[in-house]
Amino acid sequence: MISVYYFGAISLVLIGLYAVLVKKNLLKILIGLDIMESGVNLLIVSIGYINGKSAPILSEGIGPSQAVDPIPQALVLTAIVIGVATTALALSAAIIVYEKYGTLNIEEIRRLRG
Amino acid sequence: MSFIPADYVIPLLLFVPAVSGVLAWAINVKGIRELLGLIGGITPLAVIALAYNTVLNGPINYTLDARVFTLTFHLSTLTWYFAAVAALVASAMVFGMVSTSGSGYDWMFTLMSVTGVLGVFVANDFIAFFLFWELMTFASFMMVLKRNRHASLKYFVLSIIGAYSMILAIAMIYAKTGALDFAGVRQGMYLLTATHRISNAYVDTIYVLFLVAFGVKAGVWPLHVWAPDAYSETDQSYTTFFSGALSKAGVYGFLLLYLLIGVSLYQAIGTFHGHIGFAYIMAWLGAITVVVASFLAVLQEDIRKLFAYSSIGQVGYIILAFGLGTGLGFAGGLFHVLSHAVFKGLFWLVTAAIILRTGKTEFKDLGGLAEKMPYTFAMALIAVLSLAGIPPMAGFASKWLIYEAAISAHMPLVAGAIFLGSALAFAYVVRFLYAVWFGQRPSDLEDVQEAPLPLLVGMTILAIPNIVFGIAPGLVANYINKIFETDIVGGNYYKLTTPSGTYNALTVTLLLIVGLAIAGLVYLYGARARKIPVTDTYQSGNPVTNEFNLTIRKNFYLPLKEALGSWLKVSFDRFYERLANLFEDFGDWLREGFYNGNVQSYAWYLAIILLVLALWGVL
Repeated sequence: MISVYYFGAISLVLIGLYAVLVKKNLLKILIGLDIMESGVNLLIVSIGYINGKSAPILSEGIGPSQAVDPIPQALVLTAIVIGVATTALALSAAIIVYEKYGTLNIEEIRRLRG
Repeated sequence: MSFIPADYVIPLLLFVPAVSGVLAWAINVKGIRELLGLIGGITPLAVIALAYNTVLNGPINYTLDARVFTLTFHLSTLTWYFAAVAALVASAMVFGMVSTSGSGYDWMFTLMSVTGVLGVFVANDFIAFFLFWELMTFASFMMVLKRNRHASLKYFVLSIIGAYSMILAIAMIYAKTGALDFAGVRQGMYLLTATHRISNAYVDTIYVLFLVAFGVKAGVWPLHVWAPDAYSETDQSYTTFFSGALSKAGVYGFLLLYLLIGVSLYQAIGTFHGHIGFAYIMAWLGAITVVVASFLAVLQEDIRKLFAYSSIGQVGYIILAFGLGTGLGFAGGLFHVLSHAVFKGLFWLVTAAIILRTGKTEFKDLGGLAEKMPYTFAMALIAVLSLAGIPPMAGFASKWLIYEAAISAHMPLVAGAIFLGSALAFAYVVRFLYAVWFGQRPSDLEDVQEAPLPLLVGMTILAIPNIVFGIAPGLVANYINKIFETDIVGGNYYKLTTPSGTYNALTVTLLLIVGLAIAGLVYLYGARARKIPVTDTYQSGNPVTNEFNLTIRKNFYLPLKEALGSWLKVSFDRFYERLANLFEDFGDWLREGFYNGNVQSYAWYLAIILLVLALWGVL
């Protein structure tokens, strides 16, 4: 039986992928990318989860053996920052594309290019 | 008695041309460049002449340790013959190059190809053979590349196909025998065949691969398409060597088939109507080459193209002769190697002189040059007589031997192909003779001068063997007997005797001289000379209509062309072009279909690949 966390995370990735593959509006594609990113982050975090353990902060009563895996959390922190940065860059690119072509439909943009 | 120690013969032969060529390129000062070129071109001939007695007493071996490989070389009676032909043509070529070429680039690659060809002939293992083979291809490719990119590309692609075929065949032989040296390959293949440890299909594959490899270089139909372009689109003095000696590397390869894997091929392909099967295929390839190339040569309007096709056809004779598989066939083929090299080399030097002095290449722009260039004309006449096979020239003796061989091998259809080819050869050289040298001279050729001295020296070098070996064909026949160590062709210096006939060159020469003397007397005292207008050519008494106004200079063989119309539509050149276009279109379709500039489709490709990998169990 697949864990609900895994199922949810992979579903998010697939929904995002669907948007990237099928939607024609540039902003919707960017939203799809964001959804994929959230899904991936969730998946990484859920890989590190161990049932019944607490947060990996060493304090009284909580040693290394009582904490969940801290490495995915560090990875996800990095990934979130990268994701925000790429989204910001993509959004600024979308603004420029709109200013230049007056449309956000990727097929229109492609036709105008050629 | 030998004049140079046997150890130095092969290094001198191989390194002197290449080194002097590179020096000529590096120094590139007029005068010094030409001097270095002459040294590089003449040294091989001197070395090979001095090695003659040594070779007769026993082969000269030489080993070069190149760290990774050990290259072995071997100057036996057979390889001496081929190397001597190449060296003779090379020495004539360098004289021509002095007149026609003024660049260090030309000298470097010309002399590099001399080294390549000599290396191919004296190599005694497949590594040395292949290395020098590629050196020769590369150098000749660079010579064509400088003048015409399209022609050089066609030559290059076909050469590459040939080279890959050869290296595959060598690898297949090596995989079975573990040997790369010729003696080891011969022994290994013989043992494998004798003990039935090699399948027929395996040997057949090796045979086909070698046929492609050597066929490309020799210009065998249907792999000849590169030759007309490459021969005409390069320095015409260089073509002397290109068509006279470089094409013989392919011919030598066909001979190697017999020497190295002949027994296995015999075992694998068997016999066909009493002929050795694999040789029978070679004979027919040669016969088709002769007929196709000769027909195409007749129809050309450009001197260079005419001789290019003629060269292909004449090499076809040699392949055909080797394909007969009898001692007489080999003797005729080997003799024709020499005579084709000298008469075709002479033709190309004459062409170089014509182009140098007039700048014209087409028959319609030429005419009446015999008075302006008398010495060149005399040389052209010798070449014409020799190619057309008129005694007493070397071309007659060799063709006569091939006829005798084809008849005594009981191959009437192949013999017919030779007869047809010879008739056609006569047709095209006669046209060359009349259209260029006789008739009315176009007004812009009034101030044409005789060819420069070096070019004349080069022509003379090649004209002498045409006459000497024509009047004394026994000189060559005796040497060929020494190669095979039996008396294949009997007779003395002036007389050739085969089981089915005798040819006495001296008698023929004397009769010819007497006949010419009588004709001369008749001309001087008997006939009244009449000036004929240039349009007054053959029409069987019919009035000449405008659309059928065929002078010898333009569309002379148009009726033949019309008769051959449906056959001329079948062209391997066009077939290959179409094949190349097909590949290009397929590539375009792939590129445009997949690399379409749409980000979403790239995302699709990624998603699909990830899905495939996931299903496959990689992810």
